[in-house]
Amino acid sequence: MLSTDKLVVAYGGSVALHGVSLRIGGGETIALIGANGAGKTTLLRAISGLNPVRSGSIHFDGRPLGTLASEKRVSLGIAQAPEGRRVFPGLTVEENLILGTTPWRRWGQSPAKDLERVFDLFPRLKERRSQLGWSLSGGEQQMLAIGRALMARPRLLLLDEPSLGLAPRLAEEVYERIRQIAAAGLTILVVEQNTVLALAVADRGYVLENGRVVLEGRAAELKQDARVREAYLGR
Amino acid sequence: MADFIQLFINGLALGSVYALAAIGFVIVYSATGVVNFAAGQFVMFGTFAGVAMLANAGLPWPVGYAAALLAMAAFGALFFIVVYLPLRTSPVVTVIIGTVAVGIVMQNAALLGFGSWPFRLVSPLEGITIDIGGAAISAHAAMVVVVTGLLVGLIWLLFYRTALGIGMRAVAQDVEAARLMGLNVNRLLALSWMLAAVLAGIAGLLLGPMWFADVNMGDPIALKAFAATIIGGFGSLPGAIAGGLFVGLTELLGASYLSSAYKDLIAFAVMILFLLVRPQGVFGERIQDRG
Ligand SMILES: Nc1ncnc2c1ncn2[C@@H]1O[C@H](COP(=O)(O)OP(=O)(O)OP(=O)(O)O)[C@@H](O)[C@H]1O
Ligand SMILES: [Mg+2]
Repeated sequence: MLSTDKLVVAYGGSVALHGVSLRIGGGETIALIGANGAGKTTLLRAISGLNPVRSGSIHFDGRPLGTLASEKRVSLGIAQAPEGRRVFPGLTVEENLILGTTPWRRWGQSPAKDLERVFDLFPRLKERRSQLGWSLSGGEQQMLAIGRALMARPRLLLLDEPSLGLAPRLAEEVYERIRQIAAAGLTILVVEQNTVLALAVADRGYVLENGRVVLEGRAAELKQDARVREAYLGR
Repeated sequence: MADFIQLFINGLALGSVYALAAIGFVIVYSATGVVNFAAGQFVMFGTFAGVAMLANAGLPWPVGYAAALLAMAAFGALFFIVVYLPLRTSPVVTVIIGTVAVGIVMQNAALLGFGSWPFRLVSPLEGITIDIGGAAISAHAAMVVVVTGLLVGLIWLLFYRTALGIGMRAVAQDVEAARLMGLNVNRLLALSWMLAAVLAGIAGLLLGPMWFADVNMGDPIALKAFAATIIGGFGSLPGAIAGGLFVGLTELLGASYLSSAYKDLIAFAVMILFLLVRPQGVFGERIQDRG
């Protein structure tokens, strides 16, 4: 469904991704793990068209994305819950969610069904539907960011550190929902530092270090891999 | 008492014009972060668009008003493309100097086109007065207040009840997140500029019959609109409305009860007081809302 080929992305003179190649098949859940500054966010931003690509390419459904604008990528079916959640602080929960329907909704079409589906997944958001974004707790903001991305009816969901800053129990709850979304058939690329959680939901994983893929494989194998265990699982 | 009622309504009318100019200013500021120092000239253009369509071209007033506002919308789009887009990544100071420079160009363009002799823009309600509590109120002043009230309602509906307006608020808060929602950011920013220009145009059309249409009218309006936004709260729409009405009322009441030499003193004194004591204004919007 999505592939990157020898992707190079740089910020001015400093190169953040040195030729990253990965491949995501339809229906797969992929974990992208790596330490601070490894380039995980840079990769997701490049896929969403927020960072320009220096060389290499990104293909979605076999079609090169090139310099396609971010909003057009969303229309193709690539939605992202970005790092730091980026909930609109001055918009209500419901307004945040309804904005997510921008790529498909035309005049007179109702977002009600999609809204119900997200509220079923995250009942907390339903209780908070008329509260402003800034007033939500970190966990609620994360749920909103994921729910908002789902409102776009995506075919590929990009998640950037959904567990960041959440208490362990809340992080597990969020991952339980991600598992549910994956089980419904959506293709997911999840970036995480919390390797245990990410590998528990993923089919396969990639390990990124200093802008390079150093390891890839089935999630079950990565969990057993000595290097992963030492560097990311703390044992 | 009759005098007071008359002054009060006229003050509300003048304040409504300031409020509309201030709302346009605030819409652009919240959407793009640009402090538009040409905002007063936008209003002046509105008045002269009215002069051109009604007095010069002799169009009947509904058509003339519509044509003037259409021209203002086009001007807003032009401003977006020619001034905002090229400067969008420049430092704030550059953008500010840019809008000041464009304001001067606009003033000189008006001078070239219309000369320095003031015009009179005739109101469709010219000469009609309404009796309120024994006071003879100009129907035009009453219309200005009513039209402004309706516009405020429409603006509220746009921003809080339509997908378009919610999208414009989203872009004002977080441009990248807005892109990730599939919003066409440039289109929404262009719309913000066009909306501001149209509101300034309406302010200019409403103001024309109350003042003389003079190519130098932009600067005093800009000063009053700035004072209004500072008193009301920089970046706040309710603040722009309350501040505009306050400045208009103090101007007319001050001129009558104190001295016409000091008519602007109260508004600017209050503005300075706010800058010193409560810089976020009455409706102090939190800066963090810009994301
Ligand atoms: N806007 C930027 N300007 C310059 N350099 C940047 C910028 N954003 C990231 N970088 C650099 O690019 C590299 C990769 O950063 P990136 O944010 O992609 O890492 P990450 O894997 O997401 O890290 P984290 O786990 O901390 O979120 C880092 O060296 C970082 O310093
Ligand atoms: Mg990151």
